[in-house]
Amino acid sequence: MNPTQTADRFIIPIGPQHPALKEPGHFEFTVEGETVTGASVRLGYAHRGIEKGTESRNWTQNLYLLERVCGICSHIHATAYTLGVEQLAEVEAPPRAQAIREIFAELERIHSHLLWLGVAAHDAGFDTLFMYTWRDRETVMDILEEVSGNRVHYSANILGGVKFDITDKAANTILKGLDFLEERTHHYRSVVNEDTFFLQRTRGVGLMTKEEALRLGVVGPTARASGVERDIRVDAPYIAYHDFPVNLVTLPTGDLEARFLVRLDELLDSYRVIRDILNDMPEGELTVKRMPRKMKPGEVISRVEAPRGELFYFIRSTGGESPDRIKVRTPTLCNMGSVIKQAVGHNLADVPMILVGIDPCFSCNDRAVSIRESRRNGQEKVWNWADLRRYGIEFYRRKMGLESSILE
Amino acid sequence: MAIVRDLTYLMFFPAGLGLIAAGLFYQWIDRKLLARFQNRLGPRWFQPFADALKLLGKEEIQPHGTSAFLFAALPILALAGVLTAGLAVPLFGLPPVFSFPGDLVVSLYLLSLLMLCTGLAGAQTRGRFSLTGALRAFTQVFAYEAPFILALLSPSIALMIAGEAGSWQIWELAQSAANRPWFALTLPFTFIVAIIGLMGKLELPPFDAPEAETEIVAGALTEYSGRGLALFNLARAAELVIGLMLITALYLGGVGDGLLVPIIFTAKSLGLLVIVVMLQTVLARLRIDQTVSLWWKLGSVLVIAQWLIILIIRVLNLGG
Repeated sequence: MNPTQTADRFIIPIGPQHPALKEPGHFEFTVEGETVTGASVRLGYAHRGIEKGTESRNWTQNLYLLERVCGICSHIHATAYTLGVEQLAEVEAPPRAQAIREIFAELERIHSHLLWLGVAAHDAGFDTLFMYTWRDRETVMDILEEVSGNRVHYSANILGGVKFDITDKAANTILKGLDFLEERTHHYRSVVNEDTFFLQRTRGVGLMTKEEALRLGVVGPTARASGVERDIRVDAPYIAYHDFPVNLVTLPTGDLEARFLVRLDELLDSYRVIRDILNDMPEGELTVKRMPRKMKPGEVISRVEAPRGELFYFIRSTGGESPDRIKVRTPTLCNMGSVIKQAVGHNLADVPMILVGIDPCFSCNDRAVSIRESRRNGQEKVWNWADLRRYGIEFYRRKMGLESSILE
Repeated sequence: MAIVRDLTYLMFFPAGLGLIAAGLFYQWIDRKLLARFQNRLGPRWFQPFADALKLLGKEEIQPHGTSAFLFAALPILALAGVLTAGLAVPLFGLPPVFSFPGDLVVSLYLLSLLMLCTGLAGAQTRGRFSLTGALRAFTQVFAYEAPFILALLSPSIALMIAGEAGSWQIWELAQSAANRPWFALTLPFTFIVAIIGLMGKLELPPFDAPEAETEIVAGALTEYSGRGLALFNLARAAELVIGLMLITALYLGGVGDGLLVPIIFTAKSLGLLVIVVMLQTVLARLRIDQTVSLWWKLGSVLVIAQWLIILIIRVLNLGG
């Protein structure tokens, strides 16, 4: 903690324990006065070995384990996994189940975005907005509790369908809650869009052009705020998004204000799509008749749009009762690079805002990658993108006989 | 008996312990109202008192590489400065404990001691959050101090410009203010600058960049714990009361005669507190560079504009 030791560089450490971060992550910002001149990130404090854990549980047990990857987007993790497994089993959940999955997914997006709005307002030093959004978020939490019995881990998905039906009574509760939330969201939108003091903290801060966003591989609302037209719900509709499509919300500006507005507009669109589904709910069964205990050998990729962006699941079965490998890639990991890029050149006071602008979720993104070679030699080795790609291709060819000559 | 009376005034009421107790009570009103405005429950009435007592009884940890003397002396100096500033102010509408010509200027400088001590405390503890907080605290002093002092001198200067007897003595000013329309109405610009300046002085939102918890934890006082932190808190609580009472005395009708005066005076200062809390509720935190530009582009310009208006009215009156 002695700044004189670092002579010419003055480093402000943020995390792993810090009031700005609700989850553990470590950032080092080199500052000159108040201006950030360099930034680095270290992740991995919340690694829980979930991917390895899936390999020793059966297909059904994994549903519960994977739902716990994230406490906010729990349903979407389960959905990604379920869709992948259903693909392996070559079954498809009935339309009503798919519609209910979409309702849950959108309710989850609502509670995630409202939570984010509060956290972002808190980081901007605007605690009143924080308290109000979290109060209103309780509405959607109550809806989720009434429908599923749980506020956070609703466990709506089962392999081949859903667990809960949306009764008429529940539909009424949802509609009533949505009316209230819609009114509040319009209010918050005008606050975020018009409050001079708040705009000083968001407008033109953390600018990211479309080219940069594409180069950094940014996903989700963060990318859409930079004008990247990418939303899995629109590009590759899953569950019921074919029948009840959502609108792609993008803004060209690419600053923090745009990230607020994109998320708030997505909220409004979520309210609309949930109403559409409830008005035109498909009838029928909630689950498929039969779901096999053992999945056929094979590999699937399952992509869904979590509140934070594209969520990616790779699932491989060797024909047993449990998966051979499950790889999870969460949106936060894709977006983390953009924080480091944007922070440089900004005021230190803007850094928490920029970080929270991607809606980071650390416990989701912490995955382990072990590279044994460097450990054996005892030397450090810097990998560039080409090395990493070559290593990946070679690794999969050697270990799993995966032929990737098409990629070469 | 005179000495007993003087000591009571000095130690218990209205200055001294009474002032500190009032400060903690005002702090509770601040926290409670802010909480209610934010749709929270807020603390119970004795929470600030309990916090102060608890902190005073706790172990004080002194980090390496600091001067032990400064570390212990700065909080005491800050509290002493604030309490001394309270002597010349007509607290609760009662006559000041110790009044002398020029005490307005002296009080204003003593009130600045708190921020300076906070900044020094941060600068000498050498923690990175403390250092950044100290830098911001000093920057903020530089930003609000001149407009704030000018705003509080304005009633007197306005009297002088208008050709009447001005004074640098708070008690005289407060008494003469009782016989004329509220300065808040005749000098609205400087009144606003004075209130907002007080918020800057106390590092209340939106001017809480020096202790922005999401960036630099607790700012300059990050390394403070136990007694030192408690003393800084008490100093800030007392400064809240003194600042509000000073503005009330100068801008909101001063101190007249009558039995009800103390009650009305205190109620006015509480009314000011409500305005301060409302401003805290609706505004988002400013970055430190935004704070500086706000004060120099707007705050000081408002004060000077106010003086120009008085001058123009004066000249027009003379001509007519």
